[in-house]
Amino acid sequence: MKIKILYWFLIPLSIFGQTKIDKNHSSQNIKCSTCHSCEIPTKENPCIKPCPRESMIRIDQKAEDAPRILTIDRIKETDIYAPVKFSHLAHAEMSDLAGGCRTCHHYNPPGNVIGCSECHATQRQRTDINKPDLKGAYHQQCMNCHRAWSGNTDCISCHEIKGKEKVIASVTSDGKKRIHPEIKTPDKIKFDTNIKHGKQVTFYHAEHNELFGLECSDCHSNESCVKCHAVEKVKSPKKLSSKEKHKKCSSCHNTESNCSSCHSNFEKGGFNHAVVTGFDLTKYHGKLNCSRCHTTKSQFKGLKNECKNCHGEWTWENFNHKITGLVLDDTHGEFECENCHKEATYTKPECSDCHEDKSYPKDLPGKKVK
Amino acid sequence: MANQSRRDFLKTSALLGAGITGLTSKPVKAAPKNILDENRMGVLVDTTVCIGCRKCEWACKTAHNLPTQPLESYDDRSVFINMRRPDDKSLTVVNEYPAQESNSFPVNVKVQCMHCDKPACVSACIVGAFSKEENGSVIWDGDKCIGCRYCMVACPFQVPAFEFEKALQPEIRKCDFCFERTKIGKLPACVEICPMEVLTYGRREDLVELAHHKISLYPEKYYNHVFGEYEVGGTSWLYLASRDFSELQFPKLGNSPAPGVSEAIQHGIFAYFIPPIALYALLGGVMWLNKNRKSGEEEQL
Repeated sequence: MKIKILYWFLIPLSIFGQTKIDKNHSSQNIKCSTCHSCEIPTKENPCIKPCPRESMIRIDQKAEDAPRILTIDRIKETDIYAPVKFSHLAHAEMSDLAGGCRTCHHYNPPGNVIGCSECHATQRQRTDINKPDLKGAYHQQCMNCHRAWSGNTDCISCHEIKGKEKVIASVTSDGKKRIHPEIKTPDKIKFDTNIKHGKQVTFYHAEHNELFGLECSDCHSNESCVKCHAVEKVKSPKKLSSKEKHKKCSSCHNTESNCSSCHSNFEKGGFNHAVVTGFDLTKYHGKLNCSRCHTTKSQFKGLKNECKNCHGEWTWENFNHKITGLVLDDTHGEFECENCHKEATYTKPECSDCHEDKSYPKDLPGKKVK
Repeated sequence: MANQSRRDFLKTSALLGAGITGLTSKPVKAAPKNILDENRMGVLVDTTVCIGCRKCEWACKTAHNLPTQPLESYDDRSVFINMRRPDDKSLTVVNEYPAQESNSFPVNVKVQCMHCDKPACVSACIVGAFSKEENGSVIWDGDKCIGCRYCMVACPFQVPAFEFEKALQPEIRKCDFCFERTKIGKLPACVEICPMEVLTYGRREDLVELAHHKISLYPEKYYNHVFGEYEVGGTSWLYLASRDFSELQFPKLGNSPAPGVSEAIQHGIFAYFIPPIALYALLGGVMWLNKNRKSGEEEQL
């Protein structure tokens, strides 16, 4: 019994002793009970729950903020292998598509993301058996994915034998070039669905990336490694519910109604702003990035087809009519815009309010210029 | 209290003192060998983590001075084609069971002596060469062994192996939980080398707790059973797996200790010297009858 009490006392001590915890962490938006077992933890008795816990705190950082290459040399027991050079940045970039830092850093107290050795002991022989030692933690973390996509558990795929070190292809210690090879995205993907009216969905992948400025991780945020690295091992598609199938699209598209915007019986064309929204971009807005008008990222809805969304109110004084290809004559030059242009998009002018016998484009209120 | 005489006071205080010392007296440090120590050690084998690198096999052989191929040769995975058993030349082996689905991993299972809490080999050994130690290990004394191989028959896991090809002084060999290493504070060789820390060495009680905690945290990952917690009365080595243990060639065993049946019969028959007495009585009776018959024959002559 005495020993048991000692264990409970040692476990929290060992965790508390190893991790640097932000002093103000109590004011952050985290439930105390995530880590503490008692209601009022004190410095003397922090009553920290031993790992593994039901829930863990997880914090994300940008991949670029983390170290590029890590040299793993804290485990001294091994005398066969040289320290591993771990291409952290390449892995961090990939993890953007698979759940972020938390893919590996499953526990992070408030503050910066912490490394494995903050919690996992470097010695195999230890009192706290609730979490693996550093060597075990590394291997369990690495092999979980490596084994899945390569099926290879050979030590030498990561380790170099001491004295025979050579550069492993994926690890370049100079830190100059991007480590992960460029990912090529498909232009379009055709999906066959079992919907009666609209069996085919044509998904323009490259267009989504380029036109809407989407990053890979905007849609692919919870993928497994095998999805890219071992395509043949990906589960045969299970029978997903309709909601699950539409999940990725529904973050931008309304998938509840308006099926025909994606589903059709033939291959649909790519995105056309004029057809879909009724606002033709080709004339004046063709060279603009989407984000010039759609200022909230990944949010393309809610803008009305009105010039004043971006341009404010136009008057005869602040608008240079020449850019439309027509210089107004003196009579028309000082009218308010709305006198002729009844629509909010300032398209076709109405002449009939003043002139009974005139109509656009047969008659012009000025001179055409180039 | 006020009316209490000096004599009464001394009497009660002496009694109280004796009582307290009696209560607080520490249990004898070295537990007798037939009583299980509550701090006995064990190993939790999490087969869901094992990658089948077989480093443990190499470490075991090296630690026990058994001849071995170089470490690199253990990368050869073709050995997994056949199911192997521990023998006198390899005290532990790792087997592989193919993945059930294309997207799951094969399951690797390390096999060695389970170090039962109620070991059948200890019970069966007629010369007392086997013993269950305080730290949980079941070891044997080669000097006492007479090579009867009763332990091989008794073991529910068929672990003890015999050096059949040795003409002189063949020995029983099995995993000894690295008794010589743990005695001086080292870890068992397999536990020390395992890169994945599939093997967790600790107090058996703590390991049982940890195993159940893992199952409760990841119920989709683990098959809800800790093999060795109750099997044949409990074993020092405990196993977690992703599938039913019978699919991984773990023997189906009840929870009653393996020596129970054989011991009950033996102890029942041999209790109170009944069989020897009965035997002598029978022999005596035969002699007496024969003697009577002889004297009868002599009288007739």
